[in-house]
Amino acid sequence: MSDTAQLASDAGSRDPAVGLRAVRALRILVDRLEALQVENARQQGWSWQEIAHCLEVTRQAVHKKYAGGRGLLRREK
Amino acid sequence: MFERFHQESRQAVTLAQENARRLRHDRCGTEHILLGLLDQRSCMVTRVLTGHGLDYERAYRAVVRLTPVRRATALDAEALETIGIDLSAIRERVEAAFGPGSLDRDPVTTRNGLRSGRHIPFTPQAKKALELSLRETLALKQKGIRDGHLLLGILREGRGLGSRVITDAGIDTGALRREIVAELGQDQGGASRA
Repeated sequence: MSDTAQLASDAGSRDPAVGLRAVRALRILVDRLEALQVENARQQGWSWQEIAHCLEVTRQAVHKKYAGGRGLLRREK
Repeated sequence: MFERFHQESRQAVTLAQENARRLRHDRCGTEHILLGLLDQRSCMVTRVLTGHGLDYERAYRAVVRLTPVRRATALDAEALETIGIDLSAIRERVEAAFGPGSLDRDPVTTRNGLRSGRHIPFTPQAKKALELSLRETLALKQKGIRDGHLLLGILREGRGLGSRVITDAGIDTGALRREIVAELGQDQGGASRA
């Protein structure tokens, strides 16, 4: 079986343990990437509104997740 | 005591805090002060240490290596591979942009608050090194605490990770001290003649 075929069969695996584990791993990865990118955007002076727009979430959602308390990222837009 | 600090020394302390934050450390040690010095590309200490092969990037990597990380949830490379995602390729690109280890730390969201801009407390060694930098300044009969005095303080303190990073880089601390003292003398000479 070629690599691609192998991957396809894994991805399409009907074994929930395999599939769910992959989903979980992907979610952790996405969370990490999001945090890095939001931090970077704030450091470059982006407003929460602009960040929220790119992520297609509400401004409140991104603000709540990353800007509560006395965070460095909390810079009034 | 910060009133005696020259601009580049204040900046080193500010950048020490920033580096501690970047590394998600909850204490600011001599290693962060060293990074704060090296983070200023144009200061005398940076020039001298770079001459000995120790630049900011190398020191940063050494600090990452020497400090225990708050163990983040390990990314599951194997599981990602099953859906065709090559984690090592992603890590390589992310680290190129955001520095070593950046993908392997838990994201700092508001709950653990470490990312906040508040003051990060100094370790006893860092406090000692700062005190010693004042003493080094006085011993050299100089007035303001310059970047070089901070480095002398770190070397004199001797037990913190700052001096460990320097010795690990294969730098002879005795020779480094003499070189720094000579540089400080030159600065001073120029200033007093003026």
